[in-house]
Amino acid sequence: MIVARLLRGAVGVAGFLGLAEVATRTGFVNLPPVSDVLVKAPDVLLDPGFHADVAATMTAWAVGLALAIVTAVPAGMVLGVLAPAEWAVRPVLEFLRPIPSVALIPLVMLVLADDLRVKVAIIVYACTWPLLLNTMYGMRDVDPVAKETLRSFGFGSLAVLGRVSLPSAAPFIATGIRLSASIALILAVSAELLAGGQYGIGVYTVRAGTSADNVALILCAVLWTGLIGLIINTVLVRTERWLFGWREQLT
Amino acid sequence: MRYGARGRGSIVGVAAALVLTLTSCGGGGDDKPGSAAKEPGTGPERTAISVGMLPVPDVAPLYIAIQKGYFKAEGLTVTPELMTGTAAALTKQAGGGLDIILGNYMSVFTAQEKGVGKFKYIADGYQAGANGFNVMVKADSTLKSGADLRGKKVAVNSIGNIGDLSVVSSIKSHGLGKGDVQWVELPFPEQAKALDEGRIDAGWLTEPFITYAQKQFGAKTLIDTMSGATKDFPISGWSATEKFIAENPRTIAAFQRAIGKAQAEAAADREEVTKVVPTYTKMDKETAAVISLGAFPTSLSSTRLQRVADLMLELKFLSKPLDVSSMLAGPAQ
Repeated sequence: MIVARLLRGAVGVAGFLGLAEVATRTGFVNLPPVSDVLVKAPDVLLDPGFHADVAATMTAWAVGLALAIVTAVPAGMVLGVLAPAEWAVRPVLEFLRPIPSVALIPLVMLVLADDLRVKVAIIVYACTWPLLLNTMYGMRDVDPVAKETLRSFGFGSLAVLGRVSLPSAAPFIATGIRLSASIALILAVSAELLAGGQYGIGVYTVRAGTSADNVALILCAVLWTGLIGLIINTVLVRTERWLFGWREQLT
Repeated sequence: MRYGARGRGSIVGVAAALVLTLTSCGGGGDDKPGSAAKEPGTGPERTAISVGMLPVPDVAPLYIAIQKGYFKAEGLTVTPELMTGTAAALTKQAGGGLDIILGNYMSVFTAQEKGVGKFKYIADGYQAGANGFNVMVKADSTLKSGADLRGKKVAVNSIGNIGDLSVVSSIKSHGLGKGDVQWVELPFPEQAKALDEGRIDAGWLTEPFITYAQKQFGAKTLIDTMSGATKDFPISGWSATEKFIAENPRTIAAFQRAIGKAQAEAAADREEVTKVVPTYTKMDKETAAVISLGAFPTSLSSTRLQRVADLMLELKFLSKPLDVSSMLAGPAQ
């Protein structure tokens, strides 16, 4: 079963690479051949300069994501429980939410001087929405009978929150964290491309422009960034399954 | 719905993971470089400064000074930061995010006129040489001279900057002006490909992209845009905000001494530049050895720089005259 799935995945990747190789070799797509890029990819990974760039991007990713979690999740819990509060902030939320975070980068650059702060601010802004909304929906989805039962046994609101609401909303919050983790990586690199800085995957891409093989080097950086995103996502999916497997068994 | 022990455990797990993430990242937000103040009257007011650079040969003296310890000898720790362009860097600099930048003269003069901030040059940086900024066309292009550019798509890295200024200056003698050409904004690394694919008719390129376009696509030079009115044209210099210069005179003087030494070495020996360029760009040594380089001026001259502002005014890149001498804060003689 697992072997069959892995095999199918491998076939899919190989098929895609084969098609891309043909398209680039024949000149149908005017990019360096895939095999040339794959040959260069390990060099980029072993380049100490690239390590510093990845470290800078991932620092912004981690700080931004953590800040977004500790602010948006409690806010979502409050809004999910207190309907009047939600009605009050809803218009502002609905106005702010569709603003593309990337469009805010030049503005944030003006207000905040430091590169890391610019990246963190943008990441927090973008990650707030999936975290906030998922937490709100999670809190609303809590089984009212379970809550009433605890209350009728004399438990206080904090106990109800800790014993029923939070465990019930946790899988929703986890989904919000997983979505945010990808968004945070996208925005860290976007901010670097627009704002520059000392190190960063985006900064590497700009620097790589000066190489004779610039397109290949940029594709290598894209490849490794994609792989980082894939690893993060896989780890989070696995963690979710491990933590909330009990929930799937119930449904 | 029931909640087993595993459910509660999972919440504790999530909370613990959160706390861990936070504590491990806690110190990250606050390490702004450069704030250590020294005892008054002696060394530089600010010992750590951030300097905006671009991955181009023009920046070589900065890295010569870093690698040979000239900044360290002056008590300065310099952090080079890549800029995505002078215009974006000036906004960042006005907000205090960069202390000194290698600012191209046209961008800084334009920003000064628009009121983005008050900037001053503290040292000259780079001056154009022959074949350092060329309009390139495809090998089989039918364009023969600047006169043929009428109505054609010409790419520059940034519209309203040295590219279109120098091209307009070069085609003026053919009776063509700014509005007779279709300008396309395209980063240097993308232009050779765009030429090859026929998306543009001509591209204004600088080194190493001129060399790459020749080697990889057989592109040829249509115009050397740094000739005639733009011969030996000043390109970029080291600039800071008026405020930073007023508040940190000793830091500025220390920077001027160190960069002055490096500028002189770059001016005297091309080898110094060739050696250092591959360390901060992705250019290989072979390319660095063959590209056309400009000059590295060692003094800040208002007559030389006034040329830039005057030509900008003449070709309508500035709306009113700009007295460049008010924007210079050169080293004490």
